[in-house]
Formats: sequence, structure tokens, C-alpha cells
Amino acid sequence: MYSAHYHLLLNHWPIIGTFIGLALFLVSLSANKDDLKQASLGLFSFIALLAIPAYMSGNAAQEFFRETPKVSMDLIQTHQGAALLALVFLEITGAIALIGLWEFSRAGKKSEAGRPAGWIVASVLLFSIVTSVLMAITGNTGGEIRHPEIIVSNEAPSSVGAAGAKVVPFVQYYVVEYSNWIWPILEDLHFIGLILILGAIGVLNLRILGFLKQLPVAPLHRFIPWGIAGVFINVITGILFFIGMPPFYADNPDFQLKMVAIVIAGTNLLLFYCTSAFRPLARLGPGDDAPLSAKFVAASSLLLWIAIVFLGRYIPSFEVYHH
Amino acid sequence: MSFTLIMKAVEESGLSVWIRDSPSIFAYWFILSFHALGMGMAVGASVVIDFRILGIARDLPLSPLKGLYRIIWAGFWVQVVSGILLLIAYPTKALTNPDFYIKLTLIGIAIAVMKMIQNRVFSDSSLTEPAMMLKGRSLAVWSLVLWLGVVTAGRLLAYTFTYINYSG
Repeated sequence: MYSAHYHLLLNHWPIIGTFIGLALFLVSLSANKDDLKQASLGLFSFIALLAIPAYMSGNAAQEFFRETPKVSMDLIQTHQGAALLALVFLEITGAIALIGLWEFSRAGKKSEAGRPAGWIVASVLLFSIVTSVLMAITGNTGGEIRHPEIIVSNEAPSSVGAAGAKVVPFVQYYVVEYSNWIWPILEDLHFIGLILILGAIGVLNLRILGFLKQLPVAPLHRFIPWGIAGVFINVITGILFFIGMPPFYADNPDFQLKMVAIVIAGTNLLLFYCTSAFRPLARLGPGDDAPLSAKFVAASSLLLWIAIVFLGRYIPSFEVYHH
Repeated sequence: MSFTLIMKAVEESGLSVWIRDSPSIFAYWFILSFHALGMGMAVGASVVIDFRILGIARDLPLSPLKGLYRIIWAGFWVQVVSGILLLIAYPTKALTNPDFYIKLTLIGIAIAVMKMIQNRVFSDSSLTEPAMMLKGRSLAVWSLVLWLGVVTAGRLLAYTFTYINYSG
């Protein structure tokens, strides 16, 4: 399997997932069903994770087409621009959805569960609608690359597509060329995100594992949105690094492994820390021992986030073998 | 004069050459990874304490949080050991960069502030929670600002050096 295969494997999920997520979310709102709400919020967060490697694997596919004369590089650039806009809006949707989902995992007073605030529901709705439109354009422009039969010959070129083609070089210019300070500032933010993740998620995991046992679990779980904020900061700054220097990352096996680890660690975060699965743990008071299964999840979460830090720090070491 | 000769001698030592040039995965990048992990431990645990003192997650009892100091100190020693090894690998690169001295100074102050929080907020068991929060408030703000400065100064070391090694 080559890097270009990954794009075909991954690229349909974020598009279909956004449509299904939006449909589920609308049904859950009109029927006022909490289970459906959780399912749609979880789906948005999960595809927001999958969309990261889906976008990045597109660069490998693009490299392949450079040597194929029948394929238009203009179409690819339009697709890439639309994909970047769709990605950014999906990441925002996913982050807000994850905080909304987290509200469900809180054990409220008298065992009454928490519910997402109105502003969260409204923002998820708004951003997922915009994301759906952008995903439709991404899918359509992506299809046109290899399926010229769907191109309408006398159709006016899409204004979103035209704007899309300018997006990637525009972002690249500001990340890499505009100033020598942008990259270091983004790196600084990336490390601040790392601290928020290890601080919020790491300390909670240590408590579940039995360190700091005097602390009740529920209030520590209140720091999870800070961890989610850390993940969001790092996803956005990470995407900017990738756009700034795609050849540095796209075929780097260490970087590819890091992206896989992020999808797994993020899924672990959303399934075990941000759904009603966490409620029994949220009832653990000072001195209470967590069940073995919870300790297993906490250990895997801790190891995954630490592995991501290590995989991130090793990225430049693989550059040696490329140049 | 003698200072530059010391840098040269360290740089030519076997350990320095090994950390810098060894193809082993346990050399430079491994140490650098631990330096990032130690940062996450020391600063991450400090930030949790600072946030709680400033009123985030108010239903979290404050006094048992002193257990987090074990993580802060463990992280601190990871940083000392990994930091010294990184310094042995690239002494000229660090010691000729003013940013390196800014970073060390900020670390000294940040650690002192964490010690002050430990002594003033956590060591006096007669204090009620609101009293602890009031006493720790400005120290917690300073702690956050200083850690931000430490991380930023540390990150900038990779972009602000003038000489990478003794020979240039």
C-alpha cells in the first residue's frame, strides 16, 4: 500500500459522515432524543479526527498525478482548497460537538445527567451546515479530477472553487514566507496545546489509575474541555505546519504513525471521557478505587498521548533519510 | 577564552558526539522527547493547581491537590537530566544564545513561585478554601505567566541561535 492509497481509503468518510451527522442531529433536535444527540455529536467528533489524515493523504495522491498528463493540476488545486475549508469547518464543528458530548458524561445532582448548553447546540448546527456545503463542493471537485464525465462543459466555474484554489498558497505564504516569526509562534502554541492535553487528561488518568486518590473524580473531569481545547489548538496549528511544508510530512512514516495515534487517542477521549460511559467513574469520591477496566482505559489514554509527544518530536529525525 | 575552550572540550567529548551524531533511536531525539514529556508533567500539573486556585473546577477540593507537587518535581528532574544532556550535545548553540539565559532565569522564578504557592497555600492547614484561593491568587497568575515565558523561551531556542557548534 502506498501513501496515495490512504487518500482513497479515507476521503469518503468525512463527506458522508458530515451528511449523516447533520441528518441525525436534525432528527435528534426535532424528536428531542438524547441518545441520537449523543450519537450525532460523537459522529462529528470522530469524523473530525478521520478528516485529518484524509486531507493530508491528498498530497501524496497529488504527487502521483504530477506525472499523469491527462489530469488537470487546476482541478486538484481547486479540490484541495475546498477540502481545506471543509476540514477547518469540520474541526471547529468536531471540537464544539465534543464539548457538547462531554456535558452528557457528567453525573449531575440526583443522578440527573448533564446536557449541552443552548449555544453549543446552535453552534454545532450552524458549523455543520456550513461544513456540509463545503464537503459537497470538496466531493464534487475531487470527483472531477478522475471522472471528467461529471463536468458540465458550459457551466460557469464555481466561485468557491476559484477561491479554494487560492486558499492553500495563501496560507502557505503566511505560515512560511511572510515572517520568520510565524512558524516559531505556531510551534509555541503547539506546545501550549500539549501542556493543556497532558495537564487535563493526564492528571485525570493518574487519578483513575490510583495516584492522587484523595481527589474526587467528577471535578477533575471538569478539566476535560481544557484538554479538548488543547487538542483543537494542536490540530489547527498542526494543519498549518502541514500546509506550510507538505513534503516534510506527507511521506514521513513517523508522521503518518503520529496521525494514526491521534485518531486512536482522540477516539479514546471521545468514547470513554465524553459519553455517558464516564458517569459511573464521575461518582467516585475521595479514596474510591476505580474498576480495573477503567484503569486499563486510563493507562492506554496516558500512553497514547505520551506516544504522540514522542512521535511528534521524532518527525525531523526522519527528514535525514529524505534529502 | 577559557570559557570557549570548555565548550570545545565538551563538544568533542564522546558523550556529546554520541548524542549528536549517533543513528541510535535512543540518542538526540529520545532525549528531546523526554524534554517535552517532562515539560508536560511539570507545567501541566502546575497549570492544574493554578487554574483551581483561580476558581476553575471549584468543587475540586484544593488541599489534596498538593499531591500534584510530586508530578511537578518528577517532571522537574526529568527536565534537569534531559536538559543537561541536550546542553552537553550542543553547548555552543545554547551558551552563545541570550535566550538560553532568559529561559534559565524564568525557570528559576517559576520554580520559586511554585514553592511559594506550596508554602503559603498548601502548608497552612488552618486556612479555609476561600482563604487559600485569596492567598494564592496573584501567585497563580504569576505562575501561569512565567510558565508561558519558559515554554516560549525554550521553543525559541531552536530558531534564535547564532552558532550551532564551536567551529561555526
